[in-house]
Amino acid sequence: MRYAPAILVGRFVRFLARLRKPGGGSAVPGLVVNRLAPGYLPHALGAFPDGLVVVSGSSGKSTTTKMLVAVLRAHDRSVFTNPSTANIAQGLTSALLERADVRGRVPGDLAVLEMDEGHGARVTADLPPDVVVLTNVMVDQIDRFHDSEAVAGMLGRIASRATKSIVLNADDAYLVQVAAAAERGVVVERFGVSAEVLAAAPRGLGNARTAGERLAAGDGLRIVGLAGDVTTLELHGRAVDVRLPSRGIHYAVDAAAAVAGARAILGRDFDLDVAARAVSEMPAVFGRGERVTVRGTEVEFVLVQNPSSFQLNVDGIAPGTEQILFAMGSDVRDPSYFWPVDASGLGSVRVVSGSKAYEAALQLAYDGVEVGRVEPDLPTALDEFLALPVPEHGVKTIVFTADSMRRTRAHLGLAEAKEDA
Amino acid sequence: MTTLSVVSLFPSLLNVNGDAENGDVLAARARWAGLEAMHLRIEEVGALPVEPDVIVLGSGTDASAEAALERIAPLQDELRRWATEGVPILGVGTGMELLGWGIEFADGRTLEGLGIVPGRAVPREARVSDDLIVRSKHGLLVGYENHARDYVGAEGSPLGRVVRGSGNGRGSGQEGVVMGSVIGTHLHGPVLAKQPALADAMLAATAERRGVAYATGGPAAEADGYADRARAVILERLGVSGR
Repeated sequence: MRYAPAILVGRFVRFLARLRKPGGGSAVPGLVVNRLAPGYLPHALGAFPDGLVVVSGSSGKSTTTKMLVAVLRAHDRSVFTNPSTANIAQGLTSALLERADVRGRVPGDLAVLEMDEGHGARVTADLPPDVVVLTNVMVDQIDRFHDSEAVAGMLGRIASRATKSIVLNADDAYLVQVAAAAERGVVVERFGVSAEVLAAAPRGLGNARTAGERLAAGDGLRIVGLAGDVTTLELHGRAVDVRLPSRGIHYAVDAAAAVAGARAILGRDFDLDVAARAVSEMPAVFGRGERVTVRGTEVEFVLVQNPSSFQLNVDGIAPGTEQILFAMGSDVRDPSYFWPVDASGLGSVRVVSGSKAYEAALQLAYDGVEVGRVEPDLPTALDEFLALPVPEHGVKTIVFTADSMRRTRAHLGLAEAKEDA
Repeated sequence: MTTLSVVSLFPSLLNVNGDAENGDVLAARARWAGLEAMHLRIEEVGALPVEPDVIVLGSGTDASAEAALERIAPLQDELRRWATEGVPILGVGTGMELLGWGIEFADGRTLEGLGIVPGRAVPREARVSDDLIVRSKHGLLVGYENHARDYVGAEGSPLGRVVRGSGNGRGSGQEGVVMGSVIGTHLHGPVLAKQPALADAMLAATAERRGVAYATGGPAAEADGYADRARAVILERLGVSGR
């Protein structure tokens, strides 16, 4: 009953938060519990009988986490996982409180946690994950992470907590260094693309530094084929086709990370066919190519999280798409790091919005994109954009950064994404 | 017709913040002014044009600085000559540091710079990552700085005075360095897109060397309008008067 008082307080705070913001999640209960009972988070996360998996990296961690959870559930495991919006300490504790009984225990065979690369090193300091899955090191949020070496260092610290295995992207030169530093007794499992798949990728993989060599057959889980939204994964000479939630090589890499991660935690219980089926049955991933009907019109949402996903997602928008709204919000402190992205593929953008609208419009103008109008006020921009007649070519497409995505969903009355489907 | 060649040097090593895209900005503005221009991203010294018209050196990571210096060192004489001949050169962050006397790293390592502009990069107590506003002869420069080193020794010829932010630090109240046509700054990313006046000064200088006239034109008005508003948003947030 050690944690019961803190849990009760946490629940009460959650109740108050719900009164203030009905239906909304809040990190405050977690903050309070972490303050009252700092030992609770590691205690609760260490209590899952089949262990703890931590997923981190610059990009793709949300998708990888969701895929990994789906694969584990398809193997009849009951899994606790955190919504991707709760990937720092207080959010994690809040997510645990959602499921915890009065003593703070959370049901489940194992836990799969998406971990922010910046906070992960500190959060994992007190908990020994059995398996750490690392997706990649990409240029992201320069103001926060400074440079790729700093990110690689943080991921290296998270990896160093793994007690059983580290699963990592063999095509990422920084992660190859992390692998080299792995302690003895910790198994390093690799996944990566074949030379053919890389050669066919118009923009490469988007890693800050792509490793010079590809994973050899037999050295891990390989992505040996990619056509549209179907990828072929190969493990020890066996190949399976996996349907991805959307087109794009980054989804194939996420799928490989998830399948390799599942294999690491499940050991002999792992079944490649079950894993392939589980990923193939996943719905389109939230916010990236998600289609919704708003005010009677079909709209596609495209989330830009970092330069790499910006580039890949822009490239993935059907050419000739006539109506695009581009919104950049306050989550982008300084947009400099987006400038290497070639946004010319957008062709023409009807409305540029968000608190960084003029910064975004500036880049679009230099990339030769025709900008219809700049309207920093997002609700106004959305209303105008949705009121435009149905486009003759393509679907109405809203490209946004995370902050603008939240504001868009709130304005359109769309529920917070069901993260834990 | 003369084609202006805008060169960014070693973007694979020196472009963590989108600094190399200043080359795109210069080439685009030159084209908008009716000139022919191309932006060359140079990774091998052998691929350099004989007489480049503008050179951009961006910022890299600490680990890449040494490799970047190795690649740029064979160009020391040419860079010196170009600088004395008035070829506009922009060094951002690490790029500026490499053009200077050298870099002292926090772990005690040092790198000898090219010595083309005065100044040495020395460790700061803590990294700075924030807005940087500078008053210069090109007007207010509005942008972002992200560096773990101060820059000392450039007190005689800075780019401007710091209005907000750290700049060269060490209590100098100054930012960057200017030596003839060479400009060094901590303002990273699309500094030239955000300050068209600075971009145009560089282009006018290089056009004059080629004996052609440069006058801002065409779509520049649209882009510069966005730049102006983007700057205004930042200045307003910081409570700095734009005049």
